[in-house]
Amino acid sequence: MGDFSSQLLATDKFAGLKDKIFPSDVIVIGGFRINDSVIAGFIVVFVLLVVALILRLTVIRHWKTTPSAAQMFLEWLVSFFDKSADEMTENYSKLMGPYTLGAAAYICCGVLIEMFGFRPAIADIGACFALALCTFLFIHTLGFVKNKARRLLHYVNPINIVTDLSVPVSMTFRLFGSILSGMVIMDMVYILIESIWYFGLPLILPAVLTPLFTLFHAFIQSYVFASLTLTFVQEAIESPPKKPKRKKQKASAV
Amino acid sequence: MELLVTMLANFLATDGALLGAGIAALTGLGAGIGMGIATGKAVEATARQPEAVGKIRTMLLLGLAFAETTAIYGLLVSILLIFVA
Repeated sequence: MGDFSSQLLATDKFAGLKDKIFPSDVIVIGGFRINDSVIAGFIVVFVLLVVALILRLTVIRHWKTTPSAAQMFLEWLVSFFDKSADEMTENYSKLMGPYTLGAAAYICCGVLIEMFGFRPAIADIGACFALALCTFLFIHTLGFVKNKARRLLHYVNPINIVTDLSVPVSMTFRLFGSILSGMVIMDMVYILIESIWYFGLPLILPAVLTPLFTLFHAFIQSYVFASLTLTFVQEAIESPPKKPKRKKQKASAV
Repeated sequence: MELLVTMLANFLATDGALLGAGIAALTGLGAGIGMGIATGKAVEATARQPEAVGKIRTMLLLGLAFAETTAIYGLLVSILLIFVA
């Protein structure tokens, strides 16, 4: 009964994979640690801010009634999120539209930064948990703002407490798991193709597989995060049915 | 006897973890069936009512995200079992 797992990891080709599962610390100052995912996150935020500034100074300044291509794209992007926020959360769409657009942009660019050789910003469980916690706060503050004390009736059934607490956990692991799995599969492909040297396969195979595992995940996961946030907020701000009315209707029907 | 216990512990710590990783990958089964049913129903709905394709697509993607979650959990567990345990 030998141990195969130690042999599997002993073929030092896959040993590099083990270090990539969790982010490695780059800067350590006491208990304050910065890992490579956080650095990629800083870069993403910086790039997003610079792009927003450039768009503000160039495209938005020359806003016209006959739109250019850039203006069309911007209008489509913003109105896509605003429209879905409008449909789901009527009164709070001014708040939820920009939030979902920002979160989706961060997730999308945080995954796409993998193409430039960085570790994806979302492949860190802290980043996922931060995003999920933002959503959690939005759900419950908006729920209490809309329904005030009536929202507490929701907690009469103790199962609802567990349901509410599981939302950020499930959002965290959905995001983290899908991005991490995409990253690990791509790293495995990179390791495997090192030994295949003919037909220029090392050149073609990653070019085919990267869009599958990186691009696809980036767009799908950011869309799913945005629409799940909106769905949960819609559920929270739904006003509970008023019981006296229902009784009256029943009485009249009888 | 001592050797047997050591071997068993060794097995559980290394090969047992690999076995568990394999079992954890079975979550893909349920997720695959669920996603297949959801997609099939969405195709049926689109064929029956082509003008509602936008709404159907939104609901389908949301349902697929929920169905996919279990598969992702299984994948995460098996990755952790292989590389961390």
